[in-house]
Amino acid sequence: MGFRFHRLGPHGRFRYLWFPLLVAIFMQAGSPSGWAALPIDVSYLNELIDRANEAHLADEREWHVLLHYRPTLTGGIKSMQDDPGFFLSPDGKTDSYAELAATLTKFFSDDLVGRSKQPAQCAFVARYYWLNERLQFDERRLPPQPCERFIRWFDEFNAAAITVIFPVGFMNNPSSMFGHTFLRVDGKEQTPQTRILAYTINYAAQVPPDAGLDYAIKGIFGAYPGYFSTIPYYLKVQEYRDIDNRDIWEYRLNLTPLQVRRLLMHTWEMGNAYFDYFFFGENCAYHILSLLEAAEPSIPLLDRFPLYTIPVDTIRLLRESGLVGEAVSRPSRSTLVRRKRASMTAEERTWFDRLIRNPAELEGDGFRALSPDQQAFVLETASDYLLQHSAAGGAEGAPFRDKNRTILRARSGLKVTSRDVPVEPYIKQPDLGHGTSRVGAGAGWRNHRAFEEVNIRAAYHDLLDPEKGFTPDAQIEFLSVALRHYHDESQARIERFTPINILSLAPMDSLSRAPSWKVNVGMQTIRHNGCALCSNGVGSAGIGAAAETQLFKREVYFAFAEAEANYSRAYEERHRVGGGGTVGMLADMTDRWKVMLSGSYLKYALGETSDDIRWFVGSRYTLSQNWALRLEYNHRDHDNDVVLSVQAYF
Amino acid sequence: MLKKVLMLSAVGVFVVSQGGLALAAGNPDTGPGCGLGKLAWENYPNQKTIGAQVLQATTNGSFGTNTFGISSGTSGCTNDGKFWAEHKVNAFAALNFENLSQDMAQGHGEHLASLATLMGIPADQQPAFFAMTQEKYTSLVTAGETSPVAMVKALSEAVATHPMLAQVSFKK
Repeated sequence: MGFRFHRLGPHGRFRYLWFPLLVAIFMQAGSPSGWAALPIDVSYLNELIDRANEAHLADEREWHVLLHYRPTLTGGIKSMQDDPGFFLSPDGKTDSYAELAATLTKFFSDDLVGRSKQPAQCAFVARYYWLNERLQFDERRLPPQPCERFIRWFDEFNAAAITVIFPVGFMNNPSSMFGHTFLRVDGKEQTPQTRILAYTINYAAQVPPDAGLDYAIKGIFGAYPGYFSTIPYYLKVQEYRDIDNRDIWEYRLNLTPLQVRRLLMHTWEMGNAYFDYFFFGENCAYHILSLLEAAEPSIPLLDRFPLYTIPVDTIRLLRESGLVGEAVSRPSRSTLVRRKRASMTAEERTWFDRLIRNPAELEGDGFRALSPDQQAFVLETASDYLLQHSAAGGAEGAPFRDKNRTILRARSGLKVTSRDVPVEPYIKQPDLGHGTSRVGAGAGWRNHRAFEEVNIRAAYHDLLDPEKGFTPDAQIEFLSVALRHYHDESQARIERFTPINILSLAPMDSLSRAPSWKVNVGMQTIRHNGCALCSNGVGSAGIGAAAETQLFKREVYFAFAEAEANYSRAYEERHRVGGGGTVGMLADMTDRWKVMLSGSYLKYALGETSDDIRWFVGSRYTLSQNWALRLEYNHRDHDNDVVLSVQAYF
Repeated sequence: MLKKVLMLSAVGVFVVSQGGLALAAGNPDTGPGCGLGKLAWENYPNQKTIGAQVLQATTNGSFGTNTFGISSGTSGCTNDGKFWAEHKVNAFAALNFENLSQDMAQGHGEHLASLATLMGIPADQQPAFFAMTQEKYTSLVTAGETSPVAMVKALSEAVATHPMLAQVSFKK
């Protein structure tokens, strides 16, 4: 239908009288065969549209939630939904009245609509449910469709409750840094042991298998479609717990049976839908919230995320909205191995370390001298370790799988139940961590000049922020800016601006040999060649190693080899490029007090030939979940800077 | 590179076999996770690797929506009765083989409990079932390495001949 109707009334309520008329004309024109058998009750359709328009149902929140309408800057509305098959009116994406009238019209037909090719009543079962609730359809005049496919699908869930699943952030895959959220539909007969049999509702971008580096750009700017799917939870557990080695948190939601039903009905509608996937904004966490809005439209959730959506913030919001009940964790395979190994006696640990290398040693007298209980525990932990290393599958995993067979054969011969060790995940309940945005205010001296500073960071966490709920030893900073006012010349300036600063420390031990790495792009203020305060653009990257001790509480040592490029008018030729190294340490002094020391030496061979020695000493004291104090000292080449600040997270 | 080509061609086979079955079934229906149920496990030449492929595919996000799409008209399956129930057990055994092996060897665990539930073994009989799988660990895993379907078959047979479990009527 290529023409547009002009609005006839203030709410345009009369223009939709055209729809039934057009439908009747099409019917006469010999459209799908099913039609002739089903004479459409045009007068009842008109009556329903009139009643809907009089009640302004198309302006109601429920309707906007089901159609994913969001207000536009020009005062109209637009649906975020990008699949044309989701709308029954050609103007449905921007016109809620047209869509409602077209939906009612299609309810009178058994025409197959949408990507799922079902009658409209079944393809859009949540719309039908809500409109029926509001308009009380007369079943004789608008016969309900049986919708067997939906009913079978719905019954297969046997749904009792919904749980939000949050695999924590994963530093070695940029698209997973902030973690992921999806829903699990808990069955009525489910026990804690059979949770893995439940289905999930997952929203993900569909990325072609040959995607290269443009993946990141396209993922950020919405070039990939995102679809919902219902993958069994056992596959998701394998993906996150076994392959990625991410701890998983499970948040049971307090939803009524009706809310669960509404959520599933709308999920079924999503089979006809896709959204353009935006990594920062309309991402997995955002659209999972949109399903929860359909479960309970009276609680606004999406309004809180106008620009970007960090998964843990959505969980915090659900908790604030009173929707979150019990939270339980599912530790990753590597967490299991580390915690179990740490609980071993020295003798058990020695055997563990020997068996994962050469399982044949278990035949010797030495191992059999352990009690059956101890043997079972060592063998099970060894099996966990070998499974962890064979999880990715393929040829690399084969030797680990073979060793695991030997270990498990021995384990099956021991008819004991090994001791149960409580396994705490390394990442404490993420929604109880600090807020993901931060503001700070402070004061200090730079080379005897006093200043005040304010800083703000959009996201997310740095090495000195309170680590509860965040990946330990990992730093992700996006869009951070600091403004300073220097007293003596009353000079105000942008002191630092950091679009991206990411650093991942991976302490090596006998179980893991992963490298540490860092990437930084930004601008800071330097004193150089007679310029007292000069802006300096920086791009740098480094690779290194880290180690951990527990001499005092917990200490992490690190060393990086790095390359750096600088751009500033302070340099001869305005730039310099070079390389060097950094060593440093992070130390937890108490639960609240953390210290970081680092020193770097860089030599620049291109552009201005020069070198740089830098020191940093930082100290943080946690006041509460969302408040902390910091004292930081920065030294570089005749440039000394000390600042005391208070940080608030939100 | 070779590995990638192999994986892609394997996934290709997977998709084709799905499409073929959907046509044969003539019933474009979906249950949650139903895509799996349509696989002709018996005819698939290399059942052992299916798990890894499905997992690969769902992991990179490029395939999960085909296999587990919601109400999508093209990837349907029949979801009623015995056919589906049986394939659910086989799919679970194939996709969780390593975790199941571990649970069987130690005589407990959520994967084993879930398999028992799928096989219809009542909760009060599950401890006996767990002990039996530990007892027969080596033969079950040897069967499983040939094909997960063979392992499920061996398990069913072991249950049928077990002095206690055989008393229990369970869904086959």
